[in-house]
Amino acid sequence: MNKTHLLTGVAASFALMAAMPAAAQSIDYGSLQELFGEAVTTSATGSPQRSTEAPADMQIISADEIRRSGETSLPGILQRVAGIDVLNHSAGQSDVNVRGYDQVSSPRLLVLVNGRQVYLDHYGVTIWATIPVQLDEIRQIEVVKGPNSALFGFNAVSGVVNIITYNPKFDPTNVVTARGGTLGAKSGSLVSTFKLGQAVSARLTVGGSSQDEWASTRAQPTKDQLHDPRSASANLDVVAQLAEKTELRMEGSWSNIQEDSRAAGASYSVVKMITNSEKATVTSDTQLGSIQAQVYQNQLTAKYSIAGGIFWKNTITVASLQDLFKVGTAHTFRLGGEYRHNTLNVAPVNKADVSYDVAALSGMWNWQVNDKLTTTAAMRVDKMSLDRSGPFLPRAPNGNNALWNRDITATSANATVAWRPTSADTFRLSYARGVQAPSLIELGGLELPIAAGPITLDIVGNPKLRPSIVTNYELAYDHDFAPIKAKLGVRLFNQDWKDIKTGISTGSLDFYPSATTNGGFTQINGLDSKLKGAEVTATGRFTPELGWRADYTATSVKDSPFAGINTFARGVAFQQTTPKARGNIGMDWEHGAWEADANLHYVGDYKFQDVVTSALTPVKAYASLSARLGYKTANGITLAVAGQNLLSDRQNQTSGLAAERRVLLSVSKAW
Amino acid sequence: MHTQFKTSLTALAAALALAAPGIGHADAAKDLGVAGRALTFLENGPTGKATLGVVFDPSKPASVAEKNAVMAAIGAGYAAGSLTLVGKPIEAGDVAGASGVQALFVTGGVNYAAVGAAAKAKKLIAIGSDPACVRSGGCAMGVSTDPKVDITVNRATAAAVGASFKAAFRMMINEI
Repeated sequence: MNKTHLLTGVAASFALMAAMPAAAQSIDYGSLQELFGEAVTTSATGSPQRSTEAPADMQIISADEIRRSGETSLPGILQRVAGIDVLNHSAGQSDVNVRGYDQVSSPRLLVLVNGRQVYLDHYGVTIWATIPVQLDEIRQIEVVKGPNSALFGFNAVSGVVNIITYNPKFDPTNVVTARGGTLGAKSGSLVSTFKLGQAVSARLTVGGSSQDEWASTRAQPTKDQLHDPRSASANLDVVAQLAEKTELRMEGSWSNIQEDSRAAGASYSVVKMITNSEKATVTSDTQLGSIQAQVYQNQLTAKYSIAGGIFWKNTITVASLQDLFKVGTAHTFRLGGEYRHNTLNVAPVNKADVSYDVAALSGMWNWQVNDKLTTTAAMRVDKMSLDRSGPFLPRAPNGNNALWNRDITATSANATVAWRPTSADTFRLSYARGVQAPSLIELGGLELPIAAGPITLDIVGNPKLRPSIVTNYELAYDHDFAPIKAKLGVRLFNQDWKDIKTGISTGSLDFYPSATTNGGFTQINGLDSKLKGAEVTATGRFTPELGWRADYTATSVKDSPFAGINTFARGVAFQQTTPKARGNIGMDWEHGAWEADANLHYVGDYKFQDVVTSALTPVKAYASLSARLGYKTANGITLAVAGQNLLSDRQNQTSGLAAERRVLLSVSKAW
Repeated sequence: MHTQFKTSLTALAAALALAAPGIGHADAAKDLGVAGRALTFLENGPTGKATLGVVFDPSKPASVAEKNAVMAAIGAGYAAGSLTLVGKPIEAGDVAGASGVQALFVTGGVNYAAVGAAAKAKKLIAIGSDPACVRSGGCAMGVSTDPKVDITVNRATAAAVGASFKAAFRMMINEI
């Protein structure tokens, strides 16, 4: 059925393309970057913009920065971005969030590859290893800080990470890389770009990695509970020039991973996932503007070794149409519509499904008032229609499919005023309202009976969950000290989060037993929370060969639990679990064929659920050092030695497994 | 202390004076690079090797100096993205009779109106480094690179010479 939907969408795309005058091309990031001398992005408004002019708090990580970081994982790279929190639970699993509120299975950061969601809707989480992208094929990683669901839809509430890969039409990328090192680390990847005749360009990428899990030094997790993380992925990206200037881009991917996860709370369990995706995008310039039609489908198969083994299959199909056009010389508009269908089996019985359809309309208006003042406003309205079909557990609470016959309508918005009084100064005042939808599991993807002595209690979904709303205000200032080749950025932000969804707590019943139903537990809207913070970033160059950067982000969180809610028991004690500070100091150096980079990452004190006692336990402030030394030969070969967590053999970065020092040797050849 | 400060200022001034000629050439090369790359965003624009007419006023030393700097930057051929530009000096009064050029680079200080009129008659896109050229409508495009790349397109002039730009490019520039 879903395949049928996808094929129908692809056929519709072809039909739409045929109806339009031939005229459009996808964005040539490389040429635009070379023209303007800075990175180009579409992640702020959907319109191509220079990174320094995008009306969003955004940091772009370039391909060169990725390569020179020496990191081998996306969380490791993102950790270097100002204000990003990363919880490294195991050698394979990390949770990432923007400016606090990071948690196990962090649901607030929307992650995309070329605009395709790789955030997993079943749990509302990003499992980074499942992202079918090798670092060598990434052109840039765009990190938007703050809500941006007015452009991307639900769950872009703390921010957005949009991973932009090279376009095979414009970027003939060919790289093979092999790495090996301590902790049994092994990885390899191949990126190959090729032409199929004059009109078709393609990039094929394959890669895989494995390493030893970090050792357990405490009673939990036990050695037999731990499994070495490993992953493999492949993707194919094809751009077809169907007419003189008409283009179709098709992307397909596959990934297969295993990692130790803290998804079940304090304890560790192994999770295995397989993902597949297919995507088709048509772009065309018409008299009505630049029109893009897109359809994609993601399929996830996930197996968790909890509760005797749980299997989920989640399929999401998305079709969208947008028109980007300019009116006069100063006004740019984007109008868009999107439909998505999302479905998940109800585990572990697997005889029922929970699903929803989302219909959304969105718009953006960018007005260049004059050469110093720009305003941007964007709005999106999503209507989510829930559904459930199939039987329930015997005597289950909420055991009525009619409870799922419900619509959730939510509005997202972004508004920014940017003022550039001089060529060196930019002030930006922004407002954003983001919407976090309930995940499919929260809506009923798990119905699990628990024997409690003589009675049975059920974990069930909650179709009455309200979306969480994040409102963010931010004042940003950037100054370019061109004479000394340095830049300074200061941000002040205030965030208000309403109706936060909590985990279940087996310490308090959400449903009391009756004559016909069991008692049970479910996720509920349990608290509001406020965050205030400040961020300072600085970059510069001492010499053309030697650069530096530093950032520091301070946050203060105040939770306001609803009556009777124990935020700790429900895994949402953000006031305690958010560090008050995090920051980085880094340098880069290049001389001839040599290049060296180092980054010191600091995280302040915080508390987290202990893996043995389940109590909130202090995690002391720590600093971790990563570094890389590389040598480029004349024939395109790069040899490098890189390491992470270099300051100690074993470091307690979370309340779980201690992060271990790792050193890697790598060799790569580009052609 | 006061003497040391004066000495430092003198040294700084000397350094700036020494650097000045180099800066002039560097800016011309940057402007040329932006102009050449911008041409690649023209619908049905030139591809491969293209000749850029460098328009100058022989009576104005600044215009001549800019022409010389641009021609020096072009050399035997200047690669700007998918384009390779070769240069051809053209006196401002000779634009109407110019042949074999695909675009014009207008140096500062020439008679923009006259050059613009000749360019329109020949359907040639004219690009200038002086903002006054594009503001006056003499040039279809103005480019500057200091302190950062800035591109302005005069829509009426561009339309008059039959130049239209790709959508993504239009979203990222100033239009007047």
